Amino acid sequence: MKFGTMFTDILASFFKKNSTQLYPFEKNPTPERFRGNLYYDPAKCTGCCLCVKDCPSKAIELVTIDRAAKRFVLKYHMDRCVYCGQCALNCRFKCMGMSNKDWEHAALNKEEFLVYYGKEEDVREMLENISKPPAESEHK
Amino acid sequence: MSTEQKLQTAEQLLAPWNKETIRPEENRLDVVIQPEALHEAASALHEAKWGYLSAITGMDMGVEAGQLEALYHFCNGPAITSLRVRLPRAGAVVPTIADIIPPATFFEREIKEMFGIKVDGLAVTDHLFLPEDWPPDVYPQRVDFTIEQAKAMEVSHADQMPEPGRVGENTFVVPIGPQHPALKEPGHFSFTVDGEIVTAAKMRLGYAHRGIEKATESRSWVENLYLFERVCGICSHTHAMAFSMGVEQLAKVEVPARAQAIRELVAGLERVHSHLLWLGVTAHEAGFDTLFMYSWRDRETVMNLLEQITGNRVNYSANVLGGVKCEIGDEQSKAIKEGLTYLETRIRHYLEVVTTDAMFLNRTRGIGTITAPEAERFGLLGPTARASGVARDVRIEAPYGAYVRYPVSLVTETNGDLEARCVVRLKELLVSCFAMRSILDNMPEGPLTARMPRKIPAGETVARVEAPRGELFYYIKSNGGEIPVRVHVRTPSLCNWVSVLEKAVGRQLADVPMLIAGMDPCFSCNDRVVTVEDSRTSENWSWKRLREYGIEYYSR
Ligand code: SF4
Ligand code: SF4
Repeated sequence: MKFGTMFTDILASFFKKNSTQLYPFEKNPTPERFRGNLYYDPAKCTGCCLCVKDCPSKAIELVTIDRAAKRFVLKYHMDRCVYCGQCALNCRFKCMGMSNKDWEHAALNKEEFLVYYGKEEDVREMLENISKPPAESEHK
Repeated sequence: MSTEQKLQTAEQLLAPWNKETIRPEENRLDVVIQPEALHEAASALHEAKWGYLSAITGMDMGVEAGQLEALYHFCNGPAITSLRVRLPRAGAVVPTIADIIPPATFFEREIKEMFGIKVDGLAVTDHLFLPEDWPPDVYPQRVDFTIEQAKAMEVSHADQMPEPGRVGENTFVVPIGPQHPALKEPGHFSFTVDGEIVTAAKMRLGYAHRGIEKATESRSWVENLYLFERVCGICSHTHAMAFSMGVEQLAKVEVPARAQAIRELVAGLERVHSHLLWLGVTAHEAGFDTLFMYSWRDRETVMNLLEQITGNRVNYSANVLGGVKCEIGDEQSKAIKEGLTYLETRIRHYLEVVTTDAMFLNRTRGIGTITAPEAERFGLLGPTARASGVARDVRIEAPYGAYVRYPVSLVTETNGDLEARCVVRLKELLVSCFAMRSILDNMPEGPLTARMPRKIPAGETVARVEAPRGELFYYIKSNGGEIPVRVHVRTPSLCNWVSVLEKAVGRQLADVPMLIAGMDPCFSCNDRVVTVEDSRTSENWSWKRLREYGIEYYSR
């Protein structure tokens, strides 16, 4: 039986630097494999939809504008995503991945969590199409 | 005794009631029996000390079949004998076996509410996990109960827990929870106290019930993997591993050796993080906050390692069906070894602290002692059982995956008190660290995944994995489609609760938080199958008897 068995630990800590960080001014670097936001490269995509099929939280939708011309838009519901990485694993053409840089989630409204990936004109075209017949492809 | 011999013994024991023998898998024996014979058959296995009752699975065979099934799984090393009772959908009745095997109470109450299998002789009639005002004759896990029906269900969630306050001359009921600053997760306890001494303990869980088992029945095999990972936020890997193992067994897919080694490695790291977390919580409950803060600081080391290897700190998502996602290269291997070196010195230090610190020992030595026969009787699992000297560890009894190639040694203690539970867990970590090093030094080469079919062949399987808290039991059934027909999960905390309630009675109220922390409870994981437990369900002690027990305990 002893007293103060952890006294040396406390003493040693007096001579250590503070470990609290001044977030958001100072940020802990994320490891390379960290699974942050999904990114998507439409240039390599074939539109096979394997990524969409296994997404456990139905967080991604692929909108094909023109398959032959490889015009795809990926709707990514960041707020539904559970960051499991299954979509990126399923893609045989490596068009997807999880970013280790982009991971901070804070927004004032939910809409900001819906992200469209694709060529700018494709996204524009798709959004215009959607706005004609009211929000048809939204939330199945 | 080999697995085959064990199964033969079981078959002989059950011969008088056997209606049909099925061998679904090499290590399993299913014996179909009549409901009337259940009690005798279960006692035959129990009396012959053939393993222990691990779980009771309820199943609905469908409206056309008009049949329900209850499977009583007994595990003995790798051998599993299931008593299969077939029941009509209307008027299904089985006799209780809780009088001979007390932990069966939880399981029986689960099948009673979820499947509408009436259990004859069950001492408690309150609702176990459904709200008190849930309509009778609605059984949520039957196949014809749809999610739409659940949404429309109007229940007020009003629980009928005893009113707090004075109940007798000197007795009070002290309610704790469901929302309480001292509880990290929702649960309701009511302790009847006479002065400082607890004379009765009751609890109700279910505040975090998510209906995961039902939800799996409408999701694909791959989607379910991630759902199961979220059963528990602490042992997420073990759940995903148990589910993948089961699905791989059904699909007869051999997981590459390298993937298995990585699974064990991640499981080892997870055990370190889980036990250090537990150590901190226990220390905190004992008022030893220095130990709490330092053990949690050191836990960061292992959390960072997990993040570095898998990409996430909680739901690592290291598994895929058929293998793993994350490769362990030289860089990771070096980082893990460095981390382990640091952790090992710290764990040794904590081992010294918990066995020598005078203040802490006052709160742990000789408190909440569970003897080996009691541990067996309560059906305890994992470190809680091992601290009482019961050698129950799936990694050793029925090695799975990489545990065949990189075995771990068994750690047991004999005292069965809170101190022993601390010691067992810490020593176990040293064993795990040793195993992780040997994996890193002898990592098999090869691919990380094997190809999995989308449709899983029809069949039933059982996957058992040693989670940080004890044996985790998965029962999986497929009918050859893209989604499972039934997945039943029995988490270890469910079996360990009884240790708290049994042991609180007769102790000071101030010891209760320590007793709760001592078994490392995980509310959310058993809330999938929620429990309400009355400490005396098995024996129905009268208040007088409890009081006598309390007085007797303290005058000893
Ligand atoms: S990371 Fe997982 S949840 Fe998120 S989009 Fe991909 S598959 Fe879906
Ligand atoms: S799996 Fe890859 S190629 Fe197929 S649709 Fe998804 S991103 Fe495109």
